[in-house]
Amino acid sequence: MPRLLAHLLLLLALLAAPLRAADEEQDEPAPELAAPPPDRARLVAALLAPAAEQVAAVRALVGAEDAAIEPVLTAWRAGELFLVPLPDGTRVPATLAPAAAHAPGAAPDQLVALAVADGRPILAPASTADSPEPNVRNTNIAPAPLLIASRQLRPLDTSAPLRRAIRDVLEVAGVSDPRPHVRRESIARIGQSHKTEHLPLLLARLEVEKSSVVLRTLREAVALLRLSDPDPAVRAEAFVTLGDVRSLIAAARFKEALALPVGDPSAPSAADAVGMRRSLQRIEGHWARVNFAGNLFRGLSAGSVLLLIALGLAITFGLMGVINMAHGELMVVGAYATFVTQNIFVSVFGAGSAGFHYYFVAALPAAFVSAALVGLVIERSVIQFLYKRPLESLLATWGVSLALQQTFRLIFGPANVQINAPSWLQGGATVADVAFAYNRLFVIGFAALVVFGVWLVLNRTPLGLLVRAVMQNRQMASCIGVRTTRVNMMTFAFGSGLAGLAGACLAQLGNVGPSMGQLHIIDSFMVVVSGGVGNILGTVFAALGIGTVDQVLQPVLGPVMGKILVLFAIILFLQWRPGGLFPTRSRSLD
Amino acid sequence: MSAPASLSAVEPRFFTRTQWAAFLVPTLLLALVLPLLNAFLPADSFLRPSDFTLNLYGKYATYAVLALGVDLLWGYLGILSLGQALFFALGGYAFGMHLLLMIGKDGQYKSDLPDYMVFLGYKALPAHWEPFYSFPFATAAALIVPGLLAFVFGWLAFRSRIKGVYLSILTQALTYAAALLFFRNDFGFGGNNGFTDFKRILGADLSSPDTRRWLYVASVVLLAGVFLLYRWLTRAKFGHLMQAIRDGENRVLFSGYATARYKLFVFVLVAAITGLAGALYVPQVGIINPSEMTPEKSIEAVVWVAVGGRGTLLGPILGAIFVNALKSWATRAAPELWLYILGGLFVGVVLLLPGGLVSLPAKLRAFVARLRRSGDVPVADASKPSA
Repeated sequence: MPRLLAHLLLLLALLAAPLRAADEEQDEPAPELAAPPPDRARLVAALLAPAAEQVAAVRALVGAEDAAIEPVLTAWRAGELFLVPLPDGTRVPATLAPAAAHAPGAAPDQLVALAVADGRPILAPASTADSPEPNVRNTNIAPAPLLIASRQLRPLDTSAPLRRAIRDVLEVAGVSDPRPHVRRESIARIGQSHKTEHLPLLLARLEVEKSSVVLRTLREAVALLRLSDPDPAVRAEAFVTLGDVRSLIAAARFKEALALPVGDPSAPSAADAVGMRRSLQRIEGHWARVNFAGNLFRGLSAGSVLLLIALGLAITFGLMGVINMAHGELMVVGAYATFVTQNIFVSVFGAGSAGFHYYFVAALPAAFVSAALVGLVIERSVIQFLYKRPLESLLATWGVSLALQQTFRLIFGPANVQINAPSWLQGGATVADVAFAYNRLFVIGFAALVVFGVWLVLNRTPLGLLVRAVMQNRQMASCIGVRTTRVNMMTFAFGSGLAGLAGACLAQLGNVGPSMGQLHIIDSFMVVVSGGVGNILGTVFAALGIGTVDQVLQPVLGPVMGKILVLFAIILFLQWRPGGLFPTRSRSLD
Repeated sequence: MSAPASLSAVEPRFFTRTQWAAFLVPTLLLALVLPLLNAFLPADSFLRPSDFTLNLYGKYATYAVLALGVDLLWGYLGILSLGQALFFALGGYAFGMHLLLMIGKDGQYKSDLPDYMVFLGYKALPAHWEPFYSFPFATAAALIVPGLLAFVFGWLAFRSRIKGVYLSILTQALTYAAALLFFRNDFGFGGNNGFTDFKRILGADLSSPDTRRWLYVASVVLLAGVFLLYRWLTRAKFGHLMQAIRDGENRVLFSGYATARYKLFVFVLVAAITGLAGALYVPQVGIINPSEMTPEKSIEAVVWVAVGGRGTLLGPILGAIFVNALKSWATRAAPELWLYILGGLFVGVVLLLPGGLVSLPAKLRAFVARLRRSGDVPVADASKPSA
């Protein structure tokens, strides 16, 4: 009984696991539990029909809306479909599968028969008597599946015309599959196949198709097949349709056709060429815009990552004037905190369970707090003595960063650790052909949230007021009774916590290893400097700008050259505006 | 900030008699006596420094030149440049190109081309490599290439009055960008393997003890020469001006000095000399690759100066030797602890001993004096340089 319960729980977990919605297509409405679709009966009838009628029955399956048609016919053609005799004399068409998944305790070589009619295992009869068939042995427990010891059942026969019929049906079976993504793939394949004989089938589907995504593919496929239509008017309409649906396949074909020399027998007519060019222009314009939008989006998300890292630095370096070379390591603390939280969730909820996927929600505060604590220790032990010596704070904190790196190595090992993204951060959505990955969307949203939070803390809380006062003039603030040591401590811990948050986010996007912090530290210093020190807004603009420029340059120049170019661009930019984008105005002079 | 005291104490003489002695005795010992002992004493003699020791000291001497440059910029001029390792490595690369061409047909592929070029499928030597067959040209390039880069960068930076922390971060970014560039195979300088497998210099076999002894002597002589040059520079009026720029650049500017030109001059001079040290470093260690020009290496050189004592010329030399000796000991004895030792050294020196090793005797003396006068009010130590 506890064992059954465990299996039930497992089943529940498995069913709950695909929480995410890939595109707008709903996959697999749990076929085992739903009632078999009406077309299933036709399939079963075809299998049981006399050999002479089977060809016609199979051909009649074209257009039937049943996902089982394809696997069953494939199995039939491959000789893996069987008629299982039951004690009452009837024969049930079924496929065989290893018994272990359906009947716990079965030997590894035993098989169960999955009935074509409902996909469920055929159950052994309730009687304790031995089965009349020598190869079929029933077990004593009433509802258990029928176990089959070996593959001595004879597979269902096929003849040559039948196999041809099966092949023809299979070729177009996907068009009416209940699963949208299968339909799309199948329709797209037919569209590219040049087989105009399938046109009527597609046109029939056009009448009943409801999914807008599939409809687009369907229109594209129909128009592609009509490109070889003898009637110029039909072709002209096809050009327009292909332009409407932004067909990339059509664009490639048009380019090929238009590149043919004049006089080539397969070169398009003058009217066709005009239609093709117009269509091509629309298609290419659309995809150029899509690529641009995609680059912009990726740049925005890269900029958001930079922003998250640089925001903590904008506080510790920009506001406090401490060059914290250990900032990258504080970020790594956050990343490892995420790793530890993940492992705790795995040991509590089990890997891949529904609860596990929410570990990231707990990891964010854990990362913030652990990095803030480490920052607090650094501030108390080293930095508090160096507020008047910024250049030397660089050296001391670099020493701290070396020690921290070695500590990571000793605790977590020198290799990168594995962090699995929660299911709700995997995958993405496609809007107007631009792909938006969920983890990138999350980073953008999260960065915006953190910026807002930092602004709120600095400008709308008593702590923020004290922070700004101390940062503007430490001695004056101290004179009017602000406890500057405490404010320094809190500010530094806050900046360090932000680094921890950045680390938690980065753990979702890339590798986590002991020296990961070094990769980002120089970039983020550049962001703060070019944004204008002592200014959060400048950091936001600089991070997003640098991220986007970097991302737009990368496809053209390659990852390293793009980065080098950006670095040199920043150096030159600072020639023009030495104080950064938004310099702090001050009348003080040393 | 406490400039007036040091300004009034202008010492007219370059070296006093004792200072000459203190300079000449160790220099002669290192440049003359040690090599002679190494060359003529029997191998099992107690007094004979081994070939390995000489090679190690030669390496330290080139590091000390690098550290002196960092100190002249940071300790006297107030510029914390994190690009000094880049200049060092650029000099090394320029001279490495010459050494690589001198391998001739003795490489792995028996080709006139350097091994990595054959490996990457080059058909002919790129045109900009041709002049590096000449030893004088390569030596000049080791001076000029870093100097030129320093000139361009410094001209841009000092003109727009970038200073302090910002200059440090910019030089760091420059070094980082250059390292990324040199790590690439298609940049044409051997990618991350760099140059290695050198065979001869000026026709002499690089693996023979004789050649190595001469390289060592050259390194010590370079160090002594650079020390004298910097000593002269810091003792002259120019040196006082440097310190004045460090302590209050705007005041010097308003007194009518074009501070940017002074800074540019020192920056370029130091870069060129550092490049020369890099050129001497490469034949002694036998390899040059982009990991020598990372920002980390620059910071390490800054640490030598901080440990030895910034704002003095003896400090950087002591620091370079001390930290590197500690490193070669620690990486053998306790490799997993080395980063802790180095990190602890940074923090400890910055917090507890801002004057570095050279300030240790004065501190001890003050401590002993305080013990003797126990009961008196403790005297504050006023010999710290300001940041």
